[in-house]
Amino acid sequence: MANLACIGEPISWLRLERYALAGGDTTIREHVDACAACRHCLDEIQRDVVALPVLAVPAKRRRWWRFAVPSFGVLAAAALILLLLLRPRAPHGENVVTVKGVGKVIVDVVRERAGTIRDDVRTFKPGDRFKVIVTCAPTHEVTLDVAVQETGATQPDRPLAKALLVCGNRIAVPGAFSLTGDKSHRVCVRISDQATACLTLAPE
Amino acid sequence: MLRSREDAVDVVHALFVDLIPRWSKDVDLPYLYRAVTNRCLNVLRDRGTRARLLEREQQMATPIGRVRLDDEVVGVGLIAKLADRLDEGHLEVLVARFVDDMTQEEIAEHLGISRKTVGKRLDRIRDQVISLRTEAAG
Repeated sequence: MANLACIGEPISWLRLERYALAGGDTTIREHVDACAACRHCLDEIQRDVVALPVLAVPAKRRRWWRFAVPSFGVLAAAALILLLLLRPRAPHGENVVTVKGVGKVIVDVVRERAGTIRDDVRTFKPGDRFKVIVTCAPTHEVTLDVAVQETGATQPDRPLAKALLVCGNRIAVPGAFSLTGDKSHRVCVRISDQATACLTLAPE
Repeated sequence: MLRSREDAVDVVHALFVDLIPRWSKDVDLPYLYRAVTNRCLNVLRDRGTRARLLEREQQMATPIGRVRLDDEVVGVGLIAKLADRLDEGHLEVLVARFVDDMTQEEIAEHLGISRKTVGKRLDRIRDQVISLRTEAAG
């Protein structure tokens, strides 16, 4: 077959392959009909229908870090959730209560002494003025009834009128009160007749 | 091109092993042709494989050679010799013209180069073949 020569411009193997696959090209058909060399090549292509051996695709070795990276992520997320669930929570003080329909309510006081206002103190001297401050989730309304009771006293005083407040961040209860004496005082606030939050003010 | 069915099957297999994990839909016949050509050239560049193929080619039927290079059928031996002298671009043109029997227009389209470039590369290939013959004669 080595002496076979094409009668004109040989049809390339690529075109013959395409013709063998789809056919339709009359130019190729006419050429192949007339040219023994190209017909031989086309025959060779058409004869070569033996399927290739089954392709054994080697399983790719999955690298350890491909498993490890997602695992680390899951472990980190699990650890974070555990930390959030098991973290030591700051114990709620007596001044924090939960009221049904309102949520958490925090009661605090601010002290005004000689024109200086502080909200981080729990002590008093004669002449100090205190205001009760409430923090709860906005849009809710709460009724507040403030009672102050000196240690040893049998009855509490009610220095402030019962008030209805719209919740917010550090809302001041109308009015102020002063403390006298040398004993601690418990300031308790009854909230919506459901819960009572208290704090203690000690004399200096 | 390799004149060895087993080696050709290996080359095609290896190509598909690489292609299958990619699941590319852009693979058409010309692409496969070119990819297989390049892999066959890599096989021929490997001197160990080349020696085995050359030895086997003696027993194989001579290719038809519808397109000849200065009356010489381009076989493994000539491609192997030229592989040491020509770059990949020239070798691709060599195979497309003298193994795959493409016209210059087809080669230009197949390889995405101009017909002028194809002509220049074919001229250089001929120069190298002449040079090889001169060396062999001398």
